[in-house]
Amino acid sequence: MAVRRIELMLCTGTGCVAGGAFRIKETLEKEIQKQGLDKEVSVIITGCNGFCGQGPLMVVQPDNIFYGFLNEEDIPFLVQEHLLKGRPVKKLMFTPSEKKEPVPLLSEIPFFKKQMLVALRNKGIIDPEKIDDYIARDGYTALEKILSSMTPDDVIDEIIRSGLRGRGGGGFPTGTKWKICRTEQKTPKYIICNCDEGDPGAYMDRSVFESDPHTVIEGMIIGAYAIGVSHGYIYARTEYPLAIKRMQLALTQAREYGLLGENILGSGFNFDMEIREGSGAFVCGEETSLIHSIEGKGPEPRQRPPFPAQSGIWDCPTVINNVETWANVPVIINRGADWFSKIGTETSKGTKIFSLVGKINNTGLIEVPMGITLREVVYDIGGGIPDNKKFKAVQTGGPSGGCIPHSMIDVPIDYESLTKAGSMMGSGGMIVMDEDTCMVDVAKFFIQFTNDESCGKCTTCRDGSDALLEVLTNITNGNGKEEDLEFLEEAGNAIKDASMCGLGTTLPNPVLSTLKYFRDEYEAHIKERRCPALVCKNLIKYYILPEKCTGCKLCLKNCPPGAIKGELKHIHIIDQSKCTKCGTCLDVCPPKVSAIIKVSGKETENITGIEEPYPVKKKEK
Amino acid sequence: MADKIGAVAVLGGGISGMQAALDLVESGLKVYLVDNKSSIGGVMAQLDKTFPTNDCAMCTMAPRLVEIGRHKDIEIITLSDIEKIEGEAGNFKVLLNKRPRYINEEKCTGCGTCVSNCPTRNKVQLLEKTKVELEPQYEEKVLEIIRFNKNREGPLMAILQQINSTFNYLPENALKYVSQEVGYPLSHILKIATFYSSFSIVPRGKHIINICMGTACYVKGSERLMERFSDVLEIKENETTPDMLFTLKSVRCIGCCGLAPAAMIGDNVYGKLSTKDIPKIIEKYKTMA
Repeated sequence: MAVRRIELMLCTGTGCVAGGAFRIKETLEKEIQKQGLDKEVSVIITGCNGFCGQGPLMVVQPDNIFYGFLNEEDIPFLVQEHLLKGRPVKKLMFTPSEKKEPVPLLSEIPFFKKQMLVALRNKGIIDPEKIDDYIARDGYTALEKILSSMTPDDVIDEIIRSGLRGRGGGGFPTGTKWKICRTEQKTPKYIICNCDEGDPGAYMDRSVFESDPHTVIEGMIIGAYAIGVSHGYIYARTEYPLAIKRMQLALTQAREYGLLGENILGSGFNFDMEIREGSGAFVCGEETSLIHSIEGKGPEPRQRPPFPAQSGIWDCPTVINNVETWANVPVIINRGADWFSKIGTETSKGTKIFSLVGKINNTGLIEVPMGITLREVVYDIGGGIPDNKKFKAVQTGGPSGGCIPHSMIDVPIDYESLTKAGSMMGSGGMIVMDEDTCMVDVAKFFIQFTNDESCGKCTTCRDGSDALLEVLTNITNGNGKEEDLEFLEEAGNAIKDASMCGLGTTLPNPVLSTLKYFRDEYEAHIKERRCPALVCKNLIKYYILPEKCTGCKLCLKNCPPGAIKGELKHIHIIDQSKCTKCGTCLDVCPPKVSAIIKVSGKETENITGIEEPYPVKKKEK
Repeated sequence: MADKIGAVAVLGGGISGMQAALDLVESGLKVYLVDNKSSIGGVMAQLDKTFPTNDCAMCTMAPRLVEIGRHKDIEIITLSDIEKIEGEAGNFKVLLNKRPRYINEEKCTGCGTCVSNCPTRNKVQLLEKTKVELEPQYEEKVLEIIRFNKNREGPLMAILQQINSTFNYLPENALKYVSQEVGYPLSHILKIATFYSSFSIVPRGKHIINICMGTACYVKGSERLMERFSDVLEIKENETTPDMLFTLKSVRCIGCCGLAPAAMIGDNVYGKLSTKDIPKIIEKYKTMA
């Protein structure tokens, strides 16, 4: 392969592809050709870079300059300025919201600065569709190391010593799980990679598959060798077509290179694996349910024990680990358990990938050492909340987790601390909420989710979530009663105690944690019929302020139900009986006018005091 | 109260027929309770518990069975088929065809000796199965999918996924055919087919619009996207436009949380959507077709 002067690392994760990354690639190549640079510059497609909020994006190497929000029109200018004349383009660089000066270097951008990459060490650096790229970054050396110099027991000891715990959310020590499975008498044994990433707001598994599939494959081969397995499965969500495609390609390449199949690297060890797709059921992320799904049975969880490590798929001992857990394995083998166990806290070792999303400036995927505080994540890496809004809470752990309020922002992130705060690690979704998010509505959202996804096996989960949902719907509709809060707590705890699998036992968490930290919001809904965040539709009204309205007819034309009356240069009025509270008027009203307001509670009486449109008074100069 | 005249025929002796008969007879009418099986009781008699309360089925039924058997004004006519119904409300004539029972009901005490001594009782009696034939437009592809997957371990999911993606839904006959060829009971296949959200047992539009309802999208207003799509397409969630172009669905999370709110049409992801963009996107797909 010819060495080029400049390499453009263009992100082609799902997010950037949606933003047109492949169109940009074509334009880039065309432009490079046009400028006669095709011998000097090459465009390399990489997996997800992580800074999805800035997409489509690319990094120019070896200059290490980061460009975000690319679009096709800017490409000719960029190619001419930077690639031809060597003058980096400022307007495409990352500019933190509070500062005016852009930050050119990737390594200087705060979003990347505090991160520590272990599982994601190759993101944005290699082409995920080329195995040679992975090998060039020390890929498959861990495999070679264990096959040539370690016994299976050595490998398991190393993993146990590293303190690696399951990254899917449960946090069970990985090495111990392997050991249990290895000591089982029954054969054959199986391993499974769980990529059924159902938690809404989390996408690290998808990203690992899209940016570095081989690290998962290598991790799995090492696991297979340690446990004594010759067949593995990858269970992936059908909602991730690109991830599945890349993994399929990676498997084919690994087979061609003799890294999968018979007699791997001449060691006499055989192992191969296949991809099985899910079909859109959240409960399939639960391990016993996942096993049933692969077997083609009804995907309901079953009672444990026996744990899958004792009796799993086809009734044989099976180790199921999350994508991120497998991705950590090659690094631990290569750099040693001692190195790994130095990162993190007493009980939680290593790093964890989080998807930092929601109401935050820098959205994207981050990998940070365990024990980092929420404050560092939200303010240093995330760059704070957009539009100077107030931070309200962080939701972690998906539908099983809870909301952590501002008062606990200095909590270190590890398995135990998050559980103590009423949430959980989960697969790593971190959804930031600001003052415009209604916590009752969020609790309702999650209960709706789990109610929908409950498989229906346990009564407490099936009917209990129904009961919670009914009460929460009443509260958000303004029909709440004071005794409802007591009921939510009581029913929530009952569901926790009496359900069987992880879905049921954690389902009330969003309700219980919001009740604990945001009880005042519940009370405002019930006692004052007021939604403090102005979200719950039945409790809010929209008004047009007569002193600000310029009579431009913009809202009138866009109102879907036609609830606004008025004429040009006349103050407009919203007919409350027709208004569906869709909020379109608020969106279209020009920011410098901003004549539309939302109110809730006592203020919802006709605050403008006008009944008919009247002409706009000219402003006195 | 005026004297009641005439009689009522209740057709079907399941739990609802039984209750209807009891209510009618209580109001003073003569009731004929008709069933085509050899006894009344219907499906509920075969159940252990009932949904959703988990009540014991027999505990609900037994008192009614006894009461019906005892009541002088209820006449049970079993093993009978309806030949003809004529007349109008208030004056019906029903012609029944009573099939032979080979037992004199007047004399039978229900001792059960004949059952235990029956020479053919313990022989396996299979239901006659009719062979499922596939429509020609499905045949080749379904056969190929089955052939491709049949020898894998746990082939059912893969077969259903491939049929679902080939025809954009799971045609009824294809499922029956899979049941016959691969040997899974149809009830099991239907359980799987209705459990997962990406399977559909009704035909869907050419473009499936999935609005992401993940948490990140939700807090950024994905519900409003759904409303707007629903307005523009004039269909509700989980419905298909009459021209079979679009089906509107919500999806749990498509993992594009950095681009919230997002939607997926076919395999294409649209990020940072605003309600304003929607009519344009729909138009684009319409002209593509």
